[in-house]
Order: sequence, then C-alpha cells, then structure tokens
Amino acid sequence: MKELRETVKSLLTEGKVDLVIGWEKGTMPGASTPVFIDTAEKADSLIFDSTCRNNLSVYFTKDRRELAKDDKKIGVVVKGCDSRSLVLNITEKQIDREKVTIIGVPCNGVLDMKKVTGKVDGKEILEFTDDGERVTVKGREFEQTFPLDEVISDSCVTCVRRDAVEHDLFIGEAREPGSDENAYVEVEEFEKLDSGERWARMEQEYSACIRCYACRNVCPSCYCNVCFVDQNDPQWIGKSPEITDTMIFHIIRNLHVAGRCVECGACERACPMDIKLLLLNRKVAKEVRDRFGSVTGTGLENKPAMADFKEDENQDFIMG
Amino acid sequence: MIRIEKERIDEFIRTLMETRAVYAPALDGKNTMFAPVEDPAGIDHNIFNTDKSPKEIFFPHSEVLFEYEGEEIKKVERDVRPIVVWGLRGCDARSLRLLDKVFGSAWQKPGNDMFEDPYWKEKYDDAIIFGTACNEPRSTCFCNWFGSGPHDDAGMDVKVVDTEEAFILDPVSEKGKKFIGSLKGWAEATKKDLATIKAVREKAEGLMGEAFGMEGIAEKMADLFFKPVWDDIGAKCVNCGACAFICSTCHCFDVQDEGKKGKKGKRIRIWDTCMFPLFTKEASGHNPRDMSKDRLRQRFMHKFSYFISNYDEHLCTGCGRCVSVCPVNLDIRDVVRAVMTSEA
Repeated sequence: MKELRETVKSLLTEGKVDLVIGWEKGTMPGASTPVFIDTAEKADSLIFDSTCRNNLSVYFTKDRRELAKDDKKIGVVVKGCDSRSLVLNITEKQIDREKVTIIGVPCNGVLDMKKVTGKVDGKEILEFTDDGERVTVKGREFEQTFPLDEVISDSCVTCVRRDAVEHDLFIGEAREPGSDENAYVEVEEFEKLDSGERWARMEQEYSACIRCYACRNVCPSCYCNVCFVDQNDPQWIGKSPEITDTMIFHIIRNLHVAGRCVECGACERACPMDIKLLLLNRKVAKEVRDRFGSVTGTGLENKPAMADFKEDENQDFIMG
Repeated sequence: MIRIEKERIDEFIRTLMETRAVYAPALDGKNTMFAPVEDPAGIDHNIFNTDKSPKEIFFPHSEVLFEYEGEEIKKVERDVRPIVVWGLRGCDARSLRLLDKVFGSAWQKPGNDMFEDPYWKEKYDDAIIFGTACNEPRSTCFCNWFGSGPHDDAGMDVKVVDTEEAFILDPVSEKGKKFIGSLKGWAEATKKDLATIKAVREKAEGLMGEAFGMEGIAEKMADLFFKPVWDDIGAKCVNCGACAFICSTCHCFDVQDEGKKGKKGKRIRIWDTCMFPLFTKEASGHNPRDMSKDRLRQRFMHKFSYFISNYDEHLCTGCGRCVSVCPVNLDIRDVVRAVMTSEA
C-alpha cells in the first residue's frame, strides 16, 4: 500500500500525470470505492486489497470520456483483468496509450461478498481485514478467519492472468500468466446440458433481473454511445422485467461483447440480484479462444477477434 | 395489545389469509422480497430488510393498466381481496406512507388539486400494514437521520415487536385498532412483555449510529445546484439504476403500450429512473440531463429538495438498501454529508 501511494505521489508531483484513478476504503466493511486523486496529499487514501472489486477502466468510456479530454494524462491502478480492459479499449481506439499511465498491482482475487456473508450464516459483518492470504471478519459476538481463496469471485478462481498484462509501473513483481487449460470447467459442465436444459438454466438466472443495467454500466467493454435498450425510436426491446425482453437484453449484450469481454466479473459483482452473468460471457470467450486462438486484451498488437480476419482462421461456421 | 406466542404465529397468519391476500418476507431464488403467502410456515420472520423493497406490492415493477383490442378497452382482472403486509420494517412502512402522498389521498396541499392514482388506491387504501420493530438495526441503517428510529411506528397500522417468546401486536392507526379489536381468542400482552419491549427498544436505539443533522438540506441543495460539488460526488457514479430500483421510495415510471399498435395489446406502466439517459431525452434528440452527473444530481435533488418543497418530507427513510447495492459504493450518506458541508 505504501509503495502504491508513494508511486502515485511522485507521478503527480513530477507532473507525469494529472489524475490517478484508484480505490480507497469504502463505507462498509469489505467495501472499497473508486477515487480520483489529483493532488499528492490525496494519495494517502489509496488502497489495494481484495475489496477492490471495480474495474476502473470503465471510467475511460461512456460519458466519462471527458476524463480523457484536454490532453489530460491519467494514471490508473489496475488488476490483471482491468489491464486487459485497457488494452481492449486502446486497440479499439477509445484510449490513447500515450495519455494513460498504467499502474499494476498484484492481485490475489477480489471478494464475492455473498460468499463472505455465507461463511458467517448471513450475520452482519462489522469489521473486515485482509492480509492478502486470509480474511478476518468480526460482528456482534463472532469473529472468523478463512482463506481468501474461499471467498473470491468465481471469475478470480479461474483467472490465470492476475497481474497487469500491460503496464508502465508495477507495485511489486508481476507474475507471468498461467495456463488456461482448466479455466473453463464450469463452462464445460454447462455445455454438457442439452439445449432445453441450458435455456431453462439461463431463464432461471435471468428471471431475477430488475433491468437496472448495473452490469452494462460497470462494463468497460460496453460503451456504445447509445445502447439499444436506451433507444425508443425505434424501440428494440420491451422495458418491463418480463423474461423474454430480459433475455433479449442479456443475450444481445453478451454477443456485443463477444471477443471483447475480458471476464473480469465486474458485471456479476455489480448485480444487485446476484445473477450469474459471467457464465454466458465465458462460454463465448471460450468459443473465441478455441476458434480464433484469441484471448481478449492480452496484447496491444492483437486486434479484437471480431475486428480481425486471418485467411487461415477457422471458418467452418460459414463453410459448413 | 395482544400477544401471539411464537408457536401460534402460523395460526394467526392463517386467520389473516381467510379473507385477505397476505404478503410477507420470503426468499425467492437468491434474493429476499415480499411475496404472497401460500403457506405461513414458509415465512422467514428473521429476514431483516428484504433485498427488494416492498413498494412493488402496491406499485409493481410492471403493471398492466388496461388491455385493448381495437376500440375496446378491457379492465384487468385483479385479486380484489384486501392486502395485509406482515413483517414490514419501520423504514418501509414510512416509505409506503410517502408514496401514498404521491399516489394516494394522504396529502392535499391547499389550493393544489392533486390527482389520485386509482391503481395505487385500490390496493393501499384497504391494506393493513403490520410493521415489525427492528431489534438489531444494521450499520447501513440511518432512519434516525430523519427523526425516526428502529421502533418507530409511523405508517404502520399495527406495530409488531418480537420479544423472543412472542409477537406483541400493538394497534397504531384507527384501522389497526378496529382490526385488532375484532380478533378473538388471543391473550393480552403481559407486564413482562411491556418491560421486554422497553428493553429491546432501548438496546436497538443504542445500536444506531449518530444521526446527521439534515436541517436546511432542501435550500442548501438548491443553492448548490450549479456548484462543482456535484462533479466530485458524481465522478464515480456509473449511472446504473440499481439504487433507484431497489429504493423503497423512488417511484418514477414510464407508460408504454405492448402489443400491436391500434390492434390488440396492453398498456403498462413500468418503473423508470432519472439515472437513465432516455428518462429525459426529448423528441428533438436533445437531452437536458445529458451527462451522468446531471442525472445523479436529479436523483438526490428529488429526494432532499424537490420532495420537501412539494410534500414537506425527505424522500428517503434511511433503509440503507442503496448503500448495500451501489456497485461503486457511492453512499447516500456521503452525498448528504458532502452537500451539507459544502460552501454555497
């Protein structure tokens, strides 16, 4: 934490950046909140631990694009997945690589708070600490410690690129990516179901959706100027939380981010209804990897799979 | 005050179910909400604030106003039984009363002929609200900022206190008194019960954080409308509608026709929120609240300024749901603090 703060302070005082986007302690135990640091004094509030659940790359897209106007140089603190979002946004010409300073931090996975409260039978947590390997929670008349690995988000469990794939600075030592051979176990289980069972499973998940679009709004890959659900002339989709329309929203969003989703899981963590949104995204990511040999956001020289064409790539879906 | 021993609560709920549609906290999938009771044994009396707010009992997310076929308008068949809500927390009971100011007849400003909403009234007016006092408020609770507290009974017809041994039912409103008076076969609360209630109430109040002074917030917010404080507050907001849709008092809606235009279909009203860009987009394409911070400001102005001008109350009861669900932990309490400590 100290090194992160000092790094940010010197970036600001040396004028290398005008602003740094990071996380600070939130208002609830186990919560962090995004923070915009524009003076060295403010850098003392910066933190990085398992509570840093947001993908901060989102602040470069949508109408927060103003952040990157006026030739402002912006620093951003990133986990592995967040750095992949930046890479995607850079390859899609949404961010100018020259204007962004990428500060990598070593990630051991971020919390799934539902898993944490599940560990203590839903009792209210009043204090939370994380030493990087174990988390301790305290409430009225209880205290419990458990391995961080048991309460991290599903997306972190299978993650093989925990540290920034692209960075200007790294706090500590960046680890090399692992093998993604077994990264899609739950997708493979899902694939074994027949189409009726798969549909029923998705319907069951999405029936809880309240159409708040938190999943879309926290997603750095979801940055259309006007989303199709926000159009009313023509209106593409019904607005009520009726299952047909809800499924259309999720499936279209899913396809819009095909080959662009970095599987960070920010959508799932943002969902107030705890919908397992990542399953379909990961199914598509697996298809993209297997068909086109492309893993989103892993290199500035790689175009996103759907924006690229190679003569020798798999075309069996067209040629039959 | 009557006393219902814990082992007889299902029996009591069943008597309610004889003539009324009873709603109570339930787990549906992974989330808790108020659902129609089919079997009293399925009610979880220990659920704290439900994930989804109870406003949807009276103001559903999507409500069919009428159906049409050509020129013909058809009224939608409804469950006409009066509604009973069991297990509502004090903050939510007060939220319903606030919504009744908007949709119902609870509030008529002199000289202002406010309209009444028949869809709300036909459900809310005959409803009996059994509110459960909170014995263990959470760290996200801030009802005391609004002069309320964990054992406040405002907006309830009958206040229910869980004393571990029994539920003590204390009628609050005329409607509640009439209803409790009509019941037979239940014991009166004992002196010991009253002493327990006093003790749990004091304990609950002691668990609340310190109340923040809200005095003058309406004027203060209005003065700050164009000030940069909103840039600071709004910077991290990602502009989703999670806060508004789980909010117990947000009540904006859209009206749409679903079906074939002019042929057969239904007219529905659906929750909408000022956080969405389409909410204020004009036919010309111009959007007066174009940027996300404009929309965020609107939501808080409505809660703490406009609603006070119109109805003399804050449009927030401190239930803390938005604090829990906001994906970026933009805490409504921090917004209030930032506004109240800003220079106009």
